[in-house]
Amino acid sequence: MSNFQFRADQVVDEMVQFNQNLSKGVKNLLEADEISSGVTPREEIYTEDKLTLYRYQPSTGVVQNRIPTLIVYALVNRPYMMDIQENRSTIRGLLDSGQDVYLIDWGYPDRADKYLTLDDYINGYIDRCVDIMRERHGVDKVNILGICQGGVFSLCYSTLHPDKVKNLVTMVTPVDCKTPDNMLSHWVQKMDIDSIVDAMGNLPGEMLNWTFLNLKPFQLMGQKYVSMVDIIAEEKNVKNFMRMEKWIFDSPDQAGEAFRQFIKDIFQQNKLVEGGLKIGEHPVDLADLKVPILNIFAEQDHLVPPAASKAMGKLVGSKDYTELSFPGGHIGIYVSGKAQATVTPAISEWLNKRC
Amino acid sequence: MSETNPWAAQWFNAQQQFVDAWSDMAKSGTPGNGSQSDLWAQSFDLWRNANGAQVQPDFQQAMDKCMDMGKGYFAMAEQVSKNMSAGAEPAEAINQWMDQLKQSLQQFGSTPGFDGSAINGFMKQWFNPTSSWQQMTAGMAPMNQGAWQMPGMNMPGMTPSFNLGEMIDPLGTMLEAPGVGYFREPQAKQQKGLQLGLEYHQANQAFNQAFLRVATESIQGFQARILKVDAESAPKSLRELYDLWIDISEEHYAEFAMSEEYQELYGDMVNRLMIMKKHYSEIADDTLKAMNLPNTREIDTMQERLQQVRRDNFVLKKEISEIKSLLKQVMAKPAAADASVTTAAAPTVAPAVKAAPAVKAAPAVKAAQTVKKAARKSASKTTASSNTTGKPAVTAATATAKKAAIKTAAPKAAPKKKPVVTKASKGA
Repeated sequence: MSNFQFRADQVVDEMVQFNQNLSKGVKNLLEADEISSGVTPREEIYTEDKLTLYRYQPSTGVVQNRIPTLIVYALVNRPYMMDIQENRSTIRGLLDSGQDVYLIDWGYPDRADKYLTLDDYINGYIDRCVDIMRERHGVDKVNILGICQGGVFSLCYSTLHPDKVKNLVTMVTPVDCKTPDNMLSHWVQKMDIDSIVDAMGNLPGEMLNWTFLNLKPFQLMGQKYVSMVDIIAEEKNVKNFMRMEKWIFDSPDQAGEAFRQFIKDIFQQNKLVEGGLKIGEHPVDLADLKVPILNIFAEQDHLVPPAASKAMGKLVGSKDYTELSFPGGHIGIYVSGKAQATVTPAISEWLNKRC
Repeated sequence: MSETNPWAAQWFNAQQQFVDAWSDMAKSGTPGNGSQSDLWAQSFDLWRNANGAQVQPDFQQAMDKCMDMGKGYFAMAEQVSKNMSAGAEPAEAINQWMDQLKQSLQQFGSTPGFDGSAINGFMKQWFNPTSSWQQMTAGMAPMNQGAWQMPGMNMPGMTPSFNLGEMIDPLGTMLEAPGVGYFREPQAKQQKGLQLGLEYHQANQAFNQAFLRVATESIQGFQARILKVDAESAPKSLRELYDLWIDISEEHYAEFAMSEEYQELYGDMVNRLMIMKKHYSEIADDTLKAMNLPNTREIDTMQERLQQVRRDNFVLKKEISEIKSLLKQVMAKPAAADASVTTAAAPTVAPAVKAAPAVKAAPAVKAAQTVKKAARKSASKTTASSNTTGKPAVTAATATAKKAAIKTAAPKAAPKKKPVVTKASKGA
């Protein structure tokens, strides 16, 4: 107990400083402009229901990979995380290193989308977007980059449509959902998903948010806001902080039937590992997945533990399988300076070698 | 700032006065009376209530959370510094503060209907999961807020913070009474709704009480950890002390959240909420039906049918597209055979090169691209089959491509091909 060195007046000095920072921060918040979501110029290529397929404006003066890349983002959050700010944009990094980048924005499903199934998402929406890209570029196959839940969709799609996929990159993608460190999966095991979907129709985004934040409530709902005082005291940090804050709470509702199947098959019954997964009428066996795969996971990921992603290596049939480990978390893998300097160039290098 | 925003200036001035007073108190070693952090929070609330609309909506929530956590942080600083000003060593001051937190939790824990939302100050963080659950589900659970005001339930002296435990048995007995007469069925449904509401509240209470227990354990864990901390890793500032508390709390929480107990409690709470919600939706559906208004059952049926029609539509469109493509190939075959004979007689690629401008000259560029692709497909198919016919693969492919290109580049063919992409792009 005697190891504590700080004094009462030191505590007061800290709080004086805290209060000064808080005052500056509040002033900065009051004076800040509206924040935008997504920074890189893009063109709308295709729309269907709530979905929009975007193509990002290619970088000039860069040798372009002739195979375009489709980013398949998760349904549970908004994809502007990939392009959150000028100097923290995975998409900008991919463009600058020669990739021709397309992205599916799933939009905000509402009650009219309740009966969308995984089959509709994977063999419907994604397949139509891929066909449009193939048509536009005059190629048989495209590259796919799947993010988190979108990574699961991409695995299924690539297994079912090998004739249309040149290379597959997955980022923080859950495959084995029964690893002992998977809190999210642990929570849903005793939940009656049928009851939830039958009662709610679509799963409200607020419930997802509650779940994600309560995986680490002290850091995400407590410590972050105490630290925020120091961060927003600097005017230049306000917008960046608020962009991230906006993204965290921007969770679309989940189409009921797709949610039902995703949680039951992927989380509760672990069918990607145990077998028996069907998308529509089509069985998905990862052993049939033979395309080159780059699987990227984050070592401190509290949502998708590394073991959940790394399980992919033993299940896929691909002889060209590469893993990339990132020393960071589920979000840091897109927005941290370290990720911009290492992960994005690694993806491009891997894709360029296989074009 | 003061010129553009007088309310903000008032708050900043109030803050400065508060900090000065607190600083004087600590330096003079006088513990002082009353809570300075309460004053700090009150001044902010006053300012916020008067000025809240001037903050952008995107920023409001973050600012609220920042102030909420700021209150807790201030409460911690105040309590620790007060104890130290009263003569306690830092470690002793922290220990006293922890004991105060434990006492406070015990007090709150015995409050009927405890959900953590009434806890203010530092320990509020431990009850973010339970209090945010209450907020989030308030609109989902009919029994959560208003149902206790139903006729017969609004007993004299009953407040929203009733003691649920005392009510379960008498209510349970009442709810088991069988319905009779013409309104037997609606009565039974309402009784079942109340029963489901009680079951949800029980599950919710069990979840909240488990949090209370784990929060208390975490305080003990923190105290135990503090005892073991060495000079190197001992917190050297208030912030470091706070961060250590966060780490230890998160560890305790994670252990609880990964336990079988949490899985059961959480699953039970969610499931019972959903069962209740579904039951009340069915009652609402019955009411809408009686009023000849569409209800969710009917809308669901329509949506499900519509979704199936859309799926069938996409399949049909794809099949039509494939049939068109095959048709083109079939139409191209006799011509390809002719071309192949001609080519065999006079082996040259010139006709194919000549044919190219015809494609480029097609009125619609998109159509031309599509046609080119069809030609390529046709060519590759011919190439594949050429192995069995024994004809020179390249020659046959080129000739087929040429013929397909010429055929499909005809003005009438182009508009027919174009909608394959265009229609799809509109998501018909």
